[in-house]
Amino acid sequence: MQILFAQQIIDMLPLGILPFMLILPLIASVIAYAVRGRAARILTLTVTVTELLLSFVLAMAINPAIISGDPNAGMKYLWNFVMGQIVSGGGSTELQIALGVDGISVAMIVLSNFVVMIATISSNHIHKSEGLYYALMLLLQVGLIGVFMSLDLIGFFIFWELVLIPMFFIIGRWGEEGCQHAAIKFFIYTHLGSAVMLVAFFVLYFVAVPHTFDMIALRSMGLPPMVQLGFALAVFMGAGVKLPVWPLHNWLPWAHVKAPTPGSVILAGILLKMGGYGFIRLGVWMVPDAFARLSIPLAVLAVFTCIYAAFTAMAQTDLKSMVAYTSINHMAWVLLGVAIGTATALQGAVYMMVSHGVIISVMFIVAGQLKYSAGSREIPQVKGLMVQAPRLASVFIFASFATFGLPGLSGFIAEALILFGSVKVYVWTALITLGVFLTVGYILWTLNRIVFSDANPEKPVTEAPWSDLIAPLITLIPVVILGVWPDLLLGLVSPVVSFIVGGVP
Amino acid sequence: MFQLFTPIVDLIRAILSPITQQLLQFIPSDWLGSMPALTLVGFAVIALVVGIRWNPLPVSFIGVLVVTIEMIVLDPVSSFGGLFVRDAFSDFFIYIILIVGFLVLMSSTLHSGDQGPYNFLLLMSFAGAILVVTATDLIALFLAWELMSTPTYVLTALSPNRGAVDGATKYFVMGLMATTLMIFGIALVYGVTGQTSLSVLSSTVATIWSSGPGLSPAAYTLMLAMILFVISFGFKVGIFPGWMWVPDTYSTADGSVTSYLAGATKKAGVSALVRILMVAFIVARLSWAPLIVGVSILTMVIGNVLALAQRKIMRMLAYSSIAMMGYLMIGLAAGTELGVAAAFFQAFVHALMKTGAFILVWTISVRLARDVTYDDLAGLSQRAPLASAMFAVLMLALAGMPLTAGFWSKLILFQSAVEVGMWWLALIGLLNSVFSLGYYLRVLKYCYMIEPKDGSPLKLASVPVMAVVLCVVGVIAFFVFPGAILDYAIGAAAGIVVP
Repeated sequence: MQILFAQQIIDMLPLGILPFMLILPLIASVIAYAVRGRAARILTLTVTVTELLLSFVLAMAINPAIISGDPNAGMKYLWNFVMGQIVSGGGSTELQIALGVDGISVAMIVLSNFVVMIATISSNHIHKSEGLYYALMLLLQVGLIGVFMSLDLIGFFIFWELVLIPMFFIIGRWGEEGCQHAAIKFFIYTHLGSAVMLVAFFVLYFVAVPHTFDMIALRSMGLPPMVQLGFALAVFMGAGVKLPVWPLHNWLPWAHVKAPTPGSVILAGILLKMGGYGFIRLGVWMVPDAFARLSIPLAVLAVFTCIYAAFTAMAQTDLKSMVAYTSINHMAWVLLGVAIGTATALQGAVYMMVSHGVIISVMFIVAGQLKYSAGSREIPQVKGLMVQAPRLASVFIFASFATFGLPGLSGFIAEALILFGSVKVYVWTALITLGVFLTVGYILWTLNRIVFSDANPEKPVTEAPWSDLIAPLITLIPVVILGVWPDLLLGLVSPVVSFIVGGVP
Repeated sequence: MFQLFTPIVDLIRAILSPITQQLLQFIPSDWLGSMPALTLVGFAVIALVVGIRWNPLPVSFIGVLVVTIEMIVLDPVSSFGGLFVRDAFSDFFIYIILIVGFLVLMSSTLHSGDQGPYNFLLLMSFAGAILVVTATDLIALFLAWELMSTPTYVLTALSPNRGAVDGATKYFVMGLMATTLMIFGIALVYGVTGQTSLSVLSSTVATIWSSGPGLSPAAYTLMLAMILFVISFGFKVGIFPGWMWVPDTYSTADGSVTSYLAGATKKAGVSALVRILMVAFIVARLSWAPLIVGVSILTMVIGNVLALAQRKIMRMLAYSSIAMMGYLMIGLAAGTELGVAAAFFQAFVHALMKTGAFILVWTISVRLARDVTYDDLAGLSQRAPLASAMFAVLMLALAGMPLTAGFWSKLILFQSAVEVGMWWLALIGLLNSVFSLGYYLRVLKYCYMIEPKDGSPLKLASVPVMAVVLCVVGVIAFFVFPGAILDYAIGAAAGIVVP
């Protein structure tokens, strides 16, 4: 969708839209820390809404089509900032932040700005050191959108790591009992994955001729197959921890459960998508051959993770914990889409990331709300939600249906796309539907226990006030829109995907 | 390459040139290159005399400023018949020493900065450190080394801490041993080659090595000398065989002196090692590279593992600075221009980070009148928000996270290792770096996530806090513009590494 008006707005912004979007929250972050209190909340709300509008403008202005032989590989709005130069051995290397977007990046940027806005709205129960909290929230936003914009491995790594710092504080400072341990575990776990990835970045840098960290140049260079394979495995370590994939998922339930509600929303809503995006951007986009070779092992891992997470989710008694495992379950679909690597599957993977990002945010907000309304999140303890709190119950039911992929809502389209793509390549990946089956099972079972049970007079549930329901209600809008109008998102994604599948131009 | 500060330097030189011309007539040209060190000695004596009656700290400040201006306006030349040479490499380290020296003086306002002997010893040691980094002859290096070390033995003992004499004794005894080994090494080198000048030595080593290191007994003797040099100079740096004194001395000494030891004398040791390995023994690189790799790995592992076990912050920081020197050795092990430049950059950034961290902990420590443990940091974000924020930035910088210069210094070090094919060394370094999060994050946890027992505001002395602010601003600014320092580091490395 190219709308001239949107392009005119972009032309008016100083610096270019991408750096503007990065610098705005960075400056606001400092101000929010200085002003403290309620003013910080208002400022953060204003900035996140502005950011969301800007990303809509970006989505409306960008022309996602990619001309074959484009030297920029379809990246638009390029901008770079050289921080330093390494001059040695006759050559010179820029340490730089290079920005640029294509359709997939724009989709992820819109998603992250949306989720951050939702998280900010749902922060209304945070009253401890508000200035610091909102400053960290804005800093987090810088890191998140920076990852989706970066076109330089070093810049990518800076933003990738930057995300950890505010998230660490948000989990550890405003979380629940035992959150400090969860915060440290989260930090070290993900940092370890990134460390392996960093070595791979360096190896790639020195293999490339001329030496470069530029992702577009590396992509079109045609690297040796073994180097590509090693790099793909390192990306698997780095992005696989974030996603997370089965053996690397251990940090996730801890961090998600112990984090405050907005923290969980951002963790599940965007942080996991950084993993999926890492797989797509550093994996199939940059080293497609290597991912084609790893296709079968990754697909097996994806199917296993999906079913494993579904069983584990079923066994949880804490609603938040159950939702956390549901995320692992759904992100396995993304991995499956990446592993298959056909156009349909990749579109499905991106669709899954966006749709899961919004749906899971509602689920986490509801789970957090349950703590305030019912005094507990333990599934067996909360009873008769429908009778006592019909508004909260309705939102919960709606979000649950979206989670297991009811047709007409966004999750269905994502799962259908990935499944259509994958079954065509490997019939046995149809096993992943067992995961869907289980997901429907445990979610309906949970609804049965919490929502449709008889009220327990000893443990009354109070209705959630409208002020707490604004955030989930807004979040449900895209779930419905994307469910009935998939082309809205696919229009952005499909040119990039066919570019990836078409191979190196 | 754009050297950011060059226009500023040119401007200052142009403004001061009339005065410089006048003064230069009185200075013997052979002294010119060593004028900064000689000036510091002069100011040290003045501070001692002034200290009898008045507070000598302003004299020291003026001394450091005057020396900085001298550094800017005087041409970098050799002095004393070429024993001491100012080149890009030594200038880089002299500026580190001067910056650290200035910060240390700011921190000295907390305790004992008003005493004449303290100022005298500190300035003498600065002078020694400057001479160490300029020395190009083994004998001159040894003399300068003693001039730098001896005052610090006394300074560590002057601390108000109860365990100070213990720490100082350990430092002194082990320092003596290192010195002895150094003399032994110099004697071996002299015995085999008949030379003490490093540049002449390098050609002699080249002749000896050209016949193959496995053949001549002279080569073996030189290798033994190399090992002795690594041990004895590494003692000050706090790398593998000679690291044991570091935690005891750092944690018991006056915090200002600790930050001087960590910020400046460590770097002087690094520069001496670089001069010996990269200038004199560059031909024998393949022989000493495995040694440095081993030292680097052991140092990192020892530093990180033991830092995790500490309860006192000073000791934790001491161990962490051992680990940081392990990372720095990666750059030397790579032995390329990029590797040495990375090591220099790390030296600079480490000076900022560690000086800041030690001064901050010392300020808190003086305020609480006891050794700071993790429990004392609980809820620091509520008791002293600024100090806590700065502490957080410094810890993240030490851990090598983005938004701090520590990120670049580690990144370039690991990059230099991968460049020469030692990706496994980079990986070990990175894993160590991940491991180090265990104790850096603990500080953040106590500062930000644990409620204080006593929530009353903690008022810290303002001048040392200003010094820490300078460090923190530097650490963040050099994340955005690493080029400002990196260009000089690369220039310094290019000056000594012969490709």
